Amino acid sequence: MMIMIRAIIRPEKSDAVLAALMDAGFPAVTKYSVAGRGKQRGIKIGEVTYDEIPKTMLVSVVNAADRDFVIDTIMKTARTSSKGAFGDGKIFVSEVEDVYTISSGVKETAAASEGVPA
Amino acid sequence: MKEIIAVVRMNMMNQTKKALTEAGIDAFFAHEAQGRGKGFVNPDVLKGAGLGYEEAASLLGEKGKLYPKRMVTVVTRDDLVDDVVQAIIEANRTGKPGDGKIFVLPISDSVRVRTGETGEKSIV
Repeated sequence: MMIMIRAIIRPEKSDAVLAALMDAGFPAVTKYSVAGRGKQRGIKIGEVTYDEIPKTMLVSVVNAADRDFVIDTIMKTARTSSKGAFGDGKIFVSEVEDVYTISSGVKETAAASEGVPA
Repeated sequence: MKEIIAVVRMNMMNQTKKALTEAGIDAFFAHEAQGRGKGFVNPDVLKGAGLGYEEAASLLGEKGKLYPKRMVTVVTRDDLVDDVVQAIIEANRTGKPGDGKIFVLPISDSVRVRTGETGEKSIV
């Protein structure tokens, strides 16, 4: 069983999170830029409200067993200060039924990918 | 219904689009992304870098480099999933690391905004 972890984080934190994931043994990540707002309805600076705040989306598919560890790694790295602040982002987890590697054409299973050194 | 997310090489988009059309998929969306995989490197280059050749070391680059990719998302009926996955694999396969990954995720419902149709009717 594999899961897809989608993390929306601050763009300035993405390098730190990518490095942390690499060190933690999860090198495979896809990243793209997104814009969005959260519960605070954007940021109000003076009279102007910004409701499309630039963020970075990181997508990683990992074994379900590694779920808590990966989430913890992302959360610790992406948080600003020890308490955290509004706008640090969200992490979503969804189930992935199948994973295929195009170069080999092989359908991967959780058991097979566990044996692969990171 | 299933969502098929494929991360493929940027220069393979035309072939991918063609393959999807031939597999019976008219609707999909794509965006640019950057990514990295397990980080395989050419063993010859690695050996050269180990022996101290600067040219080889520069080819290796820094650890964790992100490569530009295209992310293609298709939502389709359950019975078409295998055909679509095979079509994407055939169109994108060069056999070298970096060809990409395909993920298949369950989708609970979809709505066509224009008519309000839900379920499989909305994605045909």
